[in-house]
Amino acid sequence: MVSSIILLVDDDADDRDVLDDALQEMNVPVTMGFAEDGIQALDKLGEWHKDGQLPCLIVLDLNMPKMSGIETLKNLKSDERFKTIPTIIYSTSINPREKDKCILLGAYSFITKPISTKEIKETANTLVNICNPTK
Amino acid sequence: MHKIAQVTLENEMDLILAHKRTMKLAELAGLSLSAQTTFATAVSEVSRSILESGKSGSLLLNVDTGQGENYIVASLTNERSAGGKEKEGLEYAKRLVNKLNVSTQGSVTQVELFYFISPPFRLDGNKLNEWRMLFRNEPPISPYEELKRKNEQLQALSENLQKSEAQYKTLTNSLPLIIFSLNNEGFILYANEWLARYTGQTIESLNKNNWKTVVHEDDYDAFSLILKNDIAKGASVIKMQSRLKNKSGEYYWHQISLSPFKNDKDELLYWIGFIVDIHAQKVVEETLKDNYELKQARQKLEDNEQTLKKYIEELNRSNQELQQFAFVASHDLQEPVRKVLYYSDHLLDRYSDSLDGKAQDYLKIMSSSSHRMRNLIKDLLLFSQVSKEKIQFDQVDLNEVAKEVCADLDLVIADKKAVLNMEVLPVIHGDIGMMRQLFGNIIGNSLKYSKIDTPPVIGITCAIRDSYVEIAFKDNGIGFDEKYLSQMFTLFQRLHGRDSYEGTGLGLAICRKIVDLHQGRIWAEAKEGQGAVFYVSLPAGLQ
Repeated sequence: MVSSIILLVDDDADDRDVLDDALQEMNVPVTMGFAEDGIQALDKLGEWHKDGQLPCLIVLDLNMPKMSGIETLKNLKSDERFKTIPTIIYSTSINPREKDKCILLGAYSFITKPISTKEIKETANTLVNICNPTK
Repeated sequence: MHKIAQVTLENEMDLILAHKRTMKLAELAGLSLSAQTTFATAVSEVSRSILESGKSGSLLLNVDTGQGENYIVASLTNERSAGGKEKEGLEYAKRLVNKLNVSTQGSVTQVELFYFISPPFRLDGNKLNEWRMLFRNEPPISPYEELKRKNEQLQALSENLQKSEAQYKTLTNSLPLIIFSLNNEGFILYANEWLARYTGQTIESLNKNNWKTVVHEDDYDAFSLILKNDIAKGASVIKMQSRLKNKSGEYYWHQISLSPFKNDKDELLYWIGFIVDIHAQKVVEETLKDNYELKQARQKLEDNEQTLKKYIEELNRSNQELQQFAFVASHDLQEPVRKVLYYSDHLLDRYSDSLDGKAQDYLKIMSSSSHRMRNLIKDLLLFSQVSKEKIQFDQVDLNEVAKEVCADLDLVIADKKAVLNMEVLPVIHGDIGMMRQLFGNIIGNSLKYSKIDTPPVIGITCAIRDSYVEIAFKDNGIGFDEKYLSQMFTLFQRLHGRDSYEGTGLGLAICRKIVDLHQGRIWAEAKEGQGAVFYVSLPAGLQ
């Protein structure tokens, strides 16, 4: 079963709050779950899998302690339980070589972390678009 | 349905191209970044499921203008696989696009993903043709072409090998060196003509008398160790000096060098050796031996050399540390600057009612400074990444580089009605990413520093001078006074006020660093108000 939960994996609490606020302001039936690093993310996904409620989307920061975004992506895509969940990279900056590497590892797209309220709205909108079956 | 671009899906590298082209078409069609990302996500998903089902396929990017509504359409085709695995991909993709068609014909399955283009966006034949050209000008990245190129390189290599083998014999005879090989028993297997020419003896006679008639009797004991089977098994290169008699009966000092020739299993097959005349050197050495003063001087020279070496090492190290520092600093600085930007925008957006006019002005100044800081950090990061450690040499087709750069700048080019004239450029040996940046910075500058009332005309020409390729970028922009030339290529140098032209003052410094790393040269000629020419000269390298 695919739920309407987006899993945001990001060690930065401000960034988590900002995106969560923007999502709540949209007033749509999509909620957000959080993990502070890759290890937490994999644990959480394991629990959700047991309950039969996988997220509709994983949003992944690259620069994180304990387990980096790239490592997390590798783990996600080599795990039969999680490999089909769409995963999008969410980072402050990403150079072209890193970008190619992420696509090869199975990421579907990229979003640059926003620097304005307009951009955060757009980001939340994108995530909801991908997650919510409104079409 | 109008076809715009195509990507064959044969291996994972094609996924990168599929994502890039899909994003580009969506951008051209005026879709928001959010819609671009959504559409590209759907395409990525279906593409990946085609590859994962073990089949190859293709992605056609189209525009559908039928029935009064416009769509961009990604049409993905694959040979149908036995399992229903590709259905998994569809399940998510279906939710991302406006319309999804699946049709099957024989063993071929076609998935069409439709994304709606908002009505105010106008489409006509000219625009579609422009888009087609844009994609056509992208370099081909078919794996077959890649394989074919590699294959051709291999063939050329093997021909060269054969040629060099034929040259080998001629070479050993033309070198003023005695070259020979010895078997384990110390017998000569092969020798070039110089052995007979110097000693006046044949291989057979030397083998018979164990070189006794040639080697000086004082040196013979040491020499015979080589011939007997006494050479340590693990020995790598054996060197000794010995006097050898020429055919007129005079002895001259020679250096004899022997190296083992082993097979893959590290078993000794035979020894290869050469003998070189060091008589002159030996005579000088003997003379020097007694000269105390000269000895002292030499010692001093050696000491100086050591110190110099140490300084160079230290310099290299601190240079590397600085580079590392610039990278880490600029990378980590991006995070806080982004937050300052975000929260000042948030304040202006949400709390402007509780801020008076002055406070709002201050916030705006803060925000624009942060924007400038962000650009500086980005460029600094770029600068620090242009380094000896990061460079990856490859064959680079500069025509492709120029086309890619123009595709990246297409919006500015269209906006300024710029005209670019380009000669055919060569293939050079370089780092493709750095070449893109070099061309991007120079062409970007020409576009930026154009005259307000004159559309930019940029001419790129190429000349071969000695073993260098000299590329000239000529523009009709505002130019500059040549007295600033020496400063222009250094860090943080700007000729214009920030209010008239945006910029960080790092662009040309980055260019200079790239060209330096490629052992080339960059310079410019200009007059104020009369355009500029930037020259880049790079080693022609392997053609």
